[in-house]
Amino acid sequence: MPDVKVLLQNAPGKRVLMLGNQAIARGILEAGVSVVTTYPGTPASEIGDSISEIASEAGLYMEYSVNEMVAVQVAAGAANCGVRALTAMKHVGLNVAADLVMTLAYTGVRGGYVIVTADDPECYSSQNEQDNRFYALLANLPCLEPSDAQEAKEMTVYAVEISEKLELPVLLRTTTRVSHTRGPVAYGQLTKPNLKGSFVRDVKRLVMVPANSRPKHEVLLRQVAKAKEISEKSPYNKVVRKGGEIGIISSSSAYNCAVEAASLLGLDAGVLKLGMTHPLPEKMIAEFLKSYKRIVVVEELEPYLEMQIKAIAKDHAPDTEIRGKMNGQYFPREGELTTRLVAAGLSRITAKPLPVDFRKIEENYGAVVKGLPPRPPILCAGCPHRASFYVIKKVGGDRAVYADDIGCYALGIAPPFAVGDIMICMGASVGTAQGISRVTGRDTMATIGDSTFFHAGIPGLVNAVYNRSRIVVVVLDNLATAMTGHQPHPGTGLTGMQSPAERILIEKIAEGCGVKYVRVVNPFKTKEATAVLKEALQQPGPSVVVFRAPCTLMDAREKRRKGVTVVSSRITEKCTNCMACIKLLGCPAIMVEEGKVRIDENSCAACGLCVSVCPYGAIEGSCAE
Amino acid sequence: MKEFNIVLAGVGGQGTLLAAEVIGSAAVSDGLDVRVSEIHGMAQRGGAVVSNVRIGEGVLASTVLDGQADVLLGFEPLETVRNLKSASEKTLVIMNTQRIPPTELAAKNAEYPSVEEVLAKIHVFTGKVIVVEAAELARKAGSRLAQNSVMLGALAAVEGFPVKTESLVEALRELVPKKHVEVNLKAFELGRETVRKKQKRV
Repeated sequence: MPDVKVLLQNAPGKRVLMLGNQAIARGILEAGVSVVTTYPGTPASEIGDSISEIASEAGLYMEYSVNEMVAVQVAAGAANCGVRALTAMKHVGLNVAADLVMTLAYTGVRGGYVIVTADDPECYSSQNEQDNRFYALLANLPCLEPSDAQEAKEMTVYAVEISEKLELPVLLRTTTRVSHTRGPVAYGQLTKPNLKGSFVRDVKRLVMVPANSRPKHEVLLRQVAKAKEISEKSPYNKVVRKGGEIGIISSSSAYNCAVEAASLLGLDAGVLKLGMTHPLPEKMIAEFLKSYKRIVVVEELEPYLEMQIKAIAKDHAPDTEIRGKMNGQYFPREGELTTRLVAAGLSRITAKPLPVDFRKIEENYGAVVKGLPPRPPILCAGCPHRASFYVIKKVGGDRAVYADDIGCYALGIAPPFAVGDIMICMGASVGTAQGISRVTGRDTMATIGDSTFFHAGIPGLVNAVYNRSRIVVVVLDNLATAMTGHQPHPGTGLTGMQSPAERILIEKIAEGCGVKYVRVVNPFKTKEATAVLKEALQQPGPSVVVFRAPCTLMDAREKRRKGVTVVSSRITEKCTNCMACIKLLGCPAIMVEEGKVRIDENSCAACGLCVSVCPYGAIEGSCAE
Repeated sequence: MKEFNIVLAGVGGQGTLLAAEVIGSAAVSDGLDVRVSEIHGMAQRGGAVVSNVRIGEGVLASTVLDGQADVLLGFEPLETVRNLKSASEKTLVIMNTQRIPPTELAAKNAEYPSVEEVLAKIHVFTGKVIVVEAAELARKAGSRLAQNSVMLGALAAVEGFPVKTESLVEALRELVPKKHVEVNLKAFELGRETVRKKQKRV
C-alpha cells in the first residue's frame, strides 16, 4: 500500500494489494470496531500499527497497551459497555492474557469483541510455536481461521457479528503466512465507529464470585452449542470440491498448500475447507467423512482438527480411514507446512509418485551451500545494545550469569558477546536471575528492554527488592519497542493515538519499587558505563542500571528528517590490523578486505563505539566518551 | 494464465520487501491474482531476507515450491546461492554482483567466494544466468540505494514475465517516496536495458 490512508477509502469493490494484517485493519473499519488495543509482536504488529496511523481520522480509539493482559482488560471493559472492540497480539501474548480470557468467556461481552492471535509456525520471530486453537477449545470460545488476506478481512467482520450474536469474545487465529502474505483484497462498505458506550450494572453477569460463576458456566456451554449451529451453516465451512477418490480436510494456510499439493500430484480429491474451527461443524464433517473411504487431515502444528475429526468419525463414520499427523507418519507437528511437505505426505498416503525429484534438488542444494557463510540476524551498525553488551561483557566476563529477555537484544547471545544464558519469555529475565543468584551466589545480571520492562518486568523487580535478591537489572532502553517496528510505550512520551503523553521514567519506577542503587547512563560512554556497572555489582540488594540511547534506526530517520549528514568513522594509517574492533564488537559496518580492516561508509552509523575501543586510537570519528 | 513464480533474495535493508510489493501491486492493477510472502521482525535485522511472489490464476500457497521459480532475483551473490533450492533448469537467475560480506567472514578472516565460484554453484541448477551490476547502474541513476529498482527493471525485461512494464512503473511511482521517484525510474530503466541486451545471449 502506498499509504496507510488507503485503508480509509470508502470504495466498495476496490481491489488493493494488502498484507493479511492490513486486511484485518480494513476489516476493523468495515465492522465498525471502535476500540482497538494491542501489544506489538511479530507476526501481529501491522494490525495495530495500521490502525494507530489512521485512528483519529477514522474516529476510533487505539492504544498500545502495556501488555496483552491489559490490552484485553481495556477492550473487554469497552465491549461490556456495548462498544465493538478488538485486541491484536502474537500467539504468546494470549498466554499473558489467558487468565482474563478464560473468565471473560463467562461474563461475555455486549459489543462485538475479537481477539486476534497471530501464531508463528516455524518460530520465525518467536520463542515457541504453540497452536492457539487450543485456547478456543479450552476457553469455549468460537475460533475463525482465515487462509488469505481477503478472508482475513471478511472474517474480522464476521467475527464481530458472531461475537455480538453469541455475546462471546471470538478468536481470530492467523499464522505468519496469513498475516505476512500480501494478496488482493476487495473492499466492502465502511461502518462508522461508535465510541459511545453505556455501562449497565448487572452483578450476576459481571461479578465472577463463585455463586455467579457456576450458572455462567452453564450459560457459556449453551452459547457454545449455539455457536456450533452457526458453524454448521457458516459460509466459511464449505466443501470446495466434491467427489474424488480421497477427501481432504484442511484450514488456514495449510489449506493453500493442500490444494496445490493435490494438484501437483494429479490427485482427484474432494476438499472440505474449515474457516470456523471452534466449535467444529460436526454434522457437516460427518457427511463429508461418510462420502469417503479415506480422509486426509492437513493442518499446521498440532493435530487439533484431526483429534476432533477422529472423535466425530467414531460416532458417524467408523469405517472411514483418517490419516494425518497423530501417528507421526505423514505430516510433521513441528515447523510450518509447505506445498512440498504436504505433497510428500499425500504421496505416501496415496502411493502417487511425486512429479518433482525433490531428493535430487536437496542433494544439489546441500552441495552448493556447504561451507556457505551464514547470515543470521545481527545487531544493526550503530545499535546502542552493542555498546551495552560490550560494557556488560567487560564487567561480567565469563564469571557472571546473564538472564536475557525478549527483544532485539536477544541477539546479544551471538559472538563476540555471548551475553544470554537463559531466555524464556517476556519479563522472565528479572525473575529467573533471582533464582539463579539465590542458589549459585554468582554475579547475575538480567538484561531487559524498555518496552519489556513495562510489559512484565516490574513485578519481578518488586519481588527482588522485597526478597533482597542480589541481582543487577540492566534495562537496555532504546526508547522504543524496536524489534517490532518502533511502537511507543509508556517511556516514550507518545500514545497509540499519536498524541503526546507524559513519559514514565524507568528509573523512577525502580526507585518507587524500593531499589536503592539506580543509575542511568549512555552506554556509548563506555568508561562511565563500565564504572557504574561495576559499582552496581557490589550492591547488597538488587540494583538497576538503565543504559539509555535511542535505537539507531530511529536516530538515523530523525537525522535524515533534519538533514543532518552522518560522517562515518574512518580507519587511519595508525591501524595495526590487530582486529580488536572486529573481535570486540562484531559490527556489520566493519569488514576485512584483502587482509585490511575497513569501515563501510554506507552502513556506518557513526556511533563511535569502535573509536572508543580501538587500543591504538586508529579510528577517526566522533565518539561519546 | 500459467503461474509465474519469483523468489527475491537479499539482505535486510536492500529493499527486497519493497521490490516484492511493487511487483504485487502492479500485478493487482493488471487484474492478476497474486501472493507476496515475506518475513518480518527478528529475521530481518541485517539477516538474509527472502520474499516470494507468485502470480497467476489459482495461486494459493505463499511460497514457491522447490525448483519451481521462473525467476530467482538475487540482490546479493551469497543470498542468490542460499536460495538455489527454488531453482531448476527452467529458472532464470538474475544476480546483482554487489557483495555484502556477512560479519562472520571478518571474524574468521575468511574470503568472500569469487564470482566464478558463485556462478559455478548456480550452474549446478541452471544455465540461465544474467549478471547485473546493480550498484554501478544505481549510482549512474543517482543513488546507490536504488539497486532494488535496477533489479525490478531487470525483471521487467524477462520474456514471459506477465506484469506490464507500465504497471510496474506506476506501482514504483506510488510506493517509492516522492523525492526519490525520478532516480528510481532511471534505475529501473537501466536495469531493463541491461537484461534486454543480455537476454539475447542467454
